[in-house]
Amino acid sequence: MASPIAIGPWRENGVILARIAIVCALLGPALTLARGQEVGEIEGKVSNDDPGRPLQMPPASTEVKEALEDFERFQRRGAWERALKALYTIPEDQAPRFVDGEDGFIISVARKRRDVLAELPPEGRAAYRLFYDAEARKLFDEAEGADEQAKLERVFSAYFTTSVGDDAADRLGDLYFERGRFDRAADCWLAALRDHPDTNLSPAALATKAALALHRAGRTSEFDQLRADLEGRYQNETVTLGGRSAPPAELLESLLGAGSPNSEARPDSAIDGGPLELGSSTEPNWVVPIAETIEAGMATAELNQWRASPLSNAAPAAAVDGSRLYLNYLGHILAIDLESGKLLWRSASFHNLETMANQPAAQMTDPAQFAILSRGEFLWCVTRDMKDPNYNASFQLVCRRADGGEVVWTSTDQPELASFEPSGTPLLGDDLLFVAAESQQNQPLPGQWVLAIRPHDGKLIWKTEVGSFRQTRQRYYYGQRQTTPHPRLLLDAGTLYVDTQIGVLARLDADSGTLEWGFGYQTEPTQGNMYVFYNRGAEPANAGGGPIPLGDALLVKGAQSSRLYAVDPNRMKLEWERAIGKSARPLGALDGAVILGGDEVGSLDIQTRNLSWATRLPGGSGSGAVLVRPDGVRQLTPRGVFEIAPATGDIRSIFRGSDLGAAAGGDLLLTADHVLTVSNRAITAYPRRADAPPTPEEKTPR
Amino acid sequence: MTPPFVSPTGVEPSRLRPLRRAAAAVACLALLAAVADSASAQYGSTPGIPQDIEGLTVIGKGSVSAAPDLAEIDLDVSASAEITGDAIVKFRDAKKRILEAFDALKLPNVAVEERGLLVDQKGAMVNPYYIDYNVSQKAKSEVQLSRKLVVKATGLREMEEDAALQLVGRLLDVAQDAGARVGPPPANPYYGVVYYRQGEGPALVRFVLEDLEKLREEAYEKAVADARKKAERLARLSGVELGPVLAVREVSAPTNRLIYPAIEPPNEEESSAENRLVSPKLRKIPVHVELQVRFEIRQAGKGNDQGKTSNQ
Repeated sequence: MASPIAIGPWRENGVILARIAIVCALLGPALTLARGQEVGEIEGKVSNDDPGRPLQMPPASTEVKEALEDFERFQRRGAWERALKALYTIPEDQAPRFVDGEDGFIISVARKRRDVLAELPPEGRAAYRLFYDAEARKLFDEAEGADEQAKLERVFSAYFTTSVGDDAADRLGDLYFERGRFDRAADCWLAALRDHPDTNLSPAALATKAALALHRAGRTSEFDQLRADLEGRYQNETVTLGGRSAPPAELLESLLGAGSPNSEARPDSAIDGGPLELGSSTEPNWVVPIAETIEAGMATAELNQWRASPLSNAAPAAAVDGSRLYLNYLGHILAIDLESGKLLWRSASFHNLETMANQPAAQMTDPAQFAILSRGEFLWCVTRDMKDPNYNASFQLVCRRADGGEVVWTSTDQPELASFEPSGTPLLGDDLLFVAAESQQNQPLPGQWVLAIRPHDGKLIWKTEVGSFRQTRQRYYYGQRQTTPHPRLLLDAGTLYVDTQIGVLARLDADSGTLEWGFGYQTEPTQGNMYVFYNRGAEPANAGGGPIPLGDALLVKGAQSSRLYAVDPNRMKLEWERAIGKSARPLGALDGAVILGGDEVGSLDIQTRNLSWATRLPGGSGSGAVLVRPDGVRQLTPRGVFEIAPATGDIRSIFRGSDLGAAAGGDLLLTADHVLTVSNRAITAYPRRADAPPTPEEKTPR
Repeated sequence: MTPPFVSPTGVEPSRLRPLRRAAAAVACLALLAAVADSASAQYGSTPGIPQDIEGLTVIGKGSVSAAPDLAEIDLDVSASAEITGDAIVKFRDAKKRILEAFDALKLPNVAVEERGLLVDQKGAMVNPYYIDYNVSQKAKSEVQLSRKLVVKATGLREMEEDAALQLVGRLLDVAQDAGARVGPPPANPYYGVVYYRQGEGPALVRFVLEDLEKLREEAYEKAVADARKKAERLARLSGVELGPVLAVREVSAPTNRLIYPAIEPPNEEESSAENRLVSPKLRKIPVHVELQVRFEIRQAGKGNDQGKTSNQ
């Protein structure tokens, strides 16, 4: 029997519980809404520390992040000594590690430190100088001889806000300029001009030098802006540079006459600029058959089996150098004379490729990873031996002589390169070969590296880790494949950009390999190691592109991203971004528009960011090299070469040619005399300018 | 001591046993008879023909064929994008370019008809082939707009086969060059293994016979004549005379699903088109009619009023 005394508390508890329930019910929606907003904000922000992102740039330690937070907290209170002390507890070995910056940029700790110091209010700056001026001055005075650059960089990075920070930036700018590093020189002078308000240096002189460096670096819009300042704000001053004294604008004009903008910044190919017209004639100059060679003599069953293999749809990687065309067809290297189409040499015959294509290792091979690059007496191939039965066998970088194809060196024979697997097409600078590579021995997951190699002997000059992978590679056995992301490289005025295609565009100094910053963009979340045997449902295919220069900006679109970004790398600013879909890719920029590929070829107006038109071509435009020129956008399709009017998207003409039926994704290349179609069926050379005018019938879509 | 069991009727159980056995035997016999009857109905008799009727029942068949007059090609116009505005631009342009391409042909006997617009989503789907743990984290789904266009070319009957083929080929080329997906939607190859045998799926081009009324009339006439002819022969051989028709039943009549295999993509918009026959092949399309006709029979030499039906 229950006691009456016990009933009281139960009743009270019940009332309390009911009240709590009512309060929760009333507050619930509000809490949920707040949480939703928070999640939404977090979703929009890219963070290097987000565990869902497939690649993480070398992260700063937790202590560094705590030190930066302490600095912020003490700074707000005006406790300058404690704030600065917190900042300087960051060990120097953490300076090149990375933390989140603004606008999606992932910046080094050193840069973050310089940025927060540059933003100090006057009282903070005074306190800072009180504590660190002496130390900075000592370093600055010691910056002589072999250590000059390193010590100046240290002052510039760690003590920029001191009274000698601007002097260090100025001297460092001079050093870089003398070495031809105009880009970095401009950054140093601009920092002294803009971020050091009480500089004792002449702003007019700094601006003149910065403008000169910007011009040489090809940073046009920044140059124009600074020149306008020189003509306006500094017009009454006199600047002395190179033994000449004159008003800054006048001096700049005279100095500009002595040098031209860095041609490396925006390569202008005379080949691409010339006229291009494909006529109605289907007679090519020459044809190098591929499919025909492999399929010759096959019985029907063999033919069906071969054509069902993903390798049968692979087009060779191609590179044109001078009078030769080099091909990397699934590891078989060929050299072809562009004039006659004759085979000059080949590394091996590929007529028995079908026997290898049915092996598990070949089924899992990604044909897009084969790449080739040629210049002068060498060519470099990213390749693997298709006879190797190991489906996890690595690709390697092989250097061959262009003359006869003899192997000069391979990455597996170089101790420093052996632990890296190259991925993506290499890029050749003046005296360095750059290649993106995955490290294979790092535990637990490999890293994304960039290697700079001496081209002729394979000696490693520098290597830089861009990030470590949080996901491993997917293996496809059967069915619809998603394009495997391979990093893309761009060299611009001594700066190397690496788009990892999985969420990070990184900027490196091409000379030293210093990783300057990364730009984190939206990408698909981490996916585990998968062996995909069948179709993956109706997900949009993925396609990557870029980086493509667009004025001062770079267009970036990762293979697993659905957004296109225009990033100004020099101002470290995100100009704009736009959702374009995972299957879309930027092909080029034309007259105020970005030409997009993907399921359709489309045109995105740069001003309004509206899709102006879209034209669906047979087979789509998800891969393959497309010719984007002011006189037309041309693409190789299974039904011929389609020419699209850039302004309207109308199909202006269809050039059937002799290689119909090729798998989608072939390349269209332009040489001085030829238009080359490179597909899984054949390599065909057509005369660049047709003798006969095209027939009206071929000029209309049909 | 337990009292002896007495049934409610007052009869002792030992006396009931033979009765029960008899009842069980009768039930078994009835069951066997039912099974045998069912088996007989299934295997032994002609389906659809009543066994115990009076008169003479025959099947009459009539068939007429004619060349198709119309060729139809299904095109799929679809566009997808993360931003719906983009999907609309893509869809609008895709449709416009296809229509313009066919307009440019300037062929008076070719028309393009539009079917309904489907607004769907693409992406973020569960993969049926492996355990997919992170569907919700995948790429954002895209809005997909799609619409079926049907290209119709008329006047085929007046053309030579080569000319008809040229026309159809040209239409296919134009459609593909304009970026349209031609033919039925791509089937999942793994489902395809199960359901379709190779070569039996819907074809790229449908050849259609329209205005069936006249042909049907002719086929029915032939079927009735055939039935009468068969019945007269049977009557003559049986020594009886054929009387008037007592009943007629359609065994098969021409439908628009005559040619295709049973599994065909559902097509709600065209299912009401009864007055047409469709073939995947360019050939004369047959119109078949099969009728079951029952005639009265009379003894030979007796008048109509003295007639007595017999089938014994």
